[in-house]
Amino acid sequence: MTLNFSLPHETIYAGAEVSQVIIPGEAGEYGVTVNHVPIISQLQPGVLQIIHEDGGGETEKYFVAGGYALTHENSVTDVTCPEAVKLDDIDPDAVSKNYDTAKTAHASAELGSLAQAEAQIEMETNKAMGAAIGLTLA
Amino acid sequence: SVGEKTLNNVFADSSAHRSRHATIVMDGKANAIRDRIKTVQNTKKITTAMKLVAAAKVRRAQDAVLATRPFSETLQSIFGGLVTRIDTDSLDIPLLTQRDVKKVTIVVITGDRGLCGGYNSFMIKKAEARYLELEKQGIKGEFILIGKKGVSYFKRRPYPIRSTFDCTQNPDAKQALAISDEILNTYLAGETDTVELMYTKFVSLIASVPSSRTLVPFSATEITEKGDEVFSLTSDGGNFSVEREELEAAEPAEFEEDMIFEQDPGEMVEGMLPLYLNGQILRTLQESVASELAARMQSMQSASDNAGELAKTLNTQYNRARQASVTAEILEIVSGAAALE
Repeated sequence: MTLNFSLPHETIYAGAEVSQVIIPGEAGEYGVTVNHVPIISQLQPGVLQIIHEDGGGETEKYFVAGGYALTHENSVTDVTCPEAVKLDDIDPDAVSKNYDTAKTAHASAELGSLAQAEAQIEMETNKAMGAAIGLTLA
Repeated sequence: SVGEKTLNNVFADSSAHRSRHATIVMDGKANAIRDRIKTVQNTKKITTAMKLVAAAKVRRAQDAVLATRPFSETLQSIFGGLVTRIDTDSLDIPLLTQRDVKKVTIVVITGDRGLCGGYNSFMIKKAEARYLELEKQGIKGEFILIGKKGVSYFKRRPYPIRSTFDCTQNPDAKQALAISDEILNTYLAGETDTVELMYTKFVSLIASVPSSRTLVPFSATEITEKGDEVFSLTSDGGNFSVEREELEAAEPAEFEEDMIFEQDPGEMVEGMLPLYLNGQILRTLQESVASELAARMQSMQSASDNAGELAKTLNTQYNRARQASVTAEILEIVSGAAALE
């Protein structure tokens, strides 16, 4: 199946032939292979896995910040994300540090305030990033 | 000449430079006109280099614009497809709903640096005029300023400024995100009724066209129908020139009957709008930076041309003085010899 994976400032894949894509949809993770029924989904921060065709079918993993994925009738899948980073490029120390900062901010913010909501989102995103690279954050 | 006077005014009266005469003594020592010629030639080298650096940066801006296109096109296509499935008027999406306009936020893009001719002052004048125009209509205005030049102008005067940002020479998605966050927060908190953007379209190396567009609230039809425009710096007979291309809007995505919608289409449309705004801000920033660079290229070209002319004038002056000095020496020798006879 063909994958188009683009970010606002660069295109990671355009017309790439891959074997499977596993997408972190907001309603749950789902995998797309050739002849998948057409589907459109909003993405949640999570891991996008691209399983390549050639050789040993290696898996490329990206952590995405959200976005949209549309699979067409002809198995072409468009994935658009505002930001994406390869798991290998994520710094585990930075993730834990940011998680702790967000946790403190969450605890000290007023209940129901914007600051608390923002801190919560930051915590959840960092937790998901941590989980993606094998770091358990609590 | 004016050039000479300008150069003359730079040197203090007591400086050694002044005491050297404009006439030439062929003694191998320093000379006023020769110094001036050297200075002018150096200036020309610098301004020529600055022009070429600006041209290289325009190419980079051009590539950056092209790199954003697949994302924007896909988004536009998905948006178009979703919009055909729902009636946007029936949904209560604040970002798509027109409000009664009593307050307008004007986002103005200028540059961080000078030496770009009239680029910054032209935009600042237009922004000021828009503010006053709104005031006349009884509408309150306020500014979100991008670019140090705009910031320093408006801060010195009693204008309401909501926030300021740097422009930089290489706008990136992170920057665009900070700006669009600010715009969305302001609009959704009800602190403004509409947000307009004033930026400079990159049309040609000579002309800069200040353009304005309404960022928020969005119009669903405009998002689906608006085609993109891209620019490219090319060379035309040994000179730089700009080509501008209007592109078609992306076709709305076809959604089959058995298409699975993981989320409600209305919800997806609403979620997409901030992403669309990000893309718009990034593009207009890139376009404005390209215009700024082009203006810098032009102004550096003019400076180089002026330096070239001045060097020519000074050279002629130098040669005449040299010839006069040689003639005077010969006359001295000849009259001395004649006196001895």
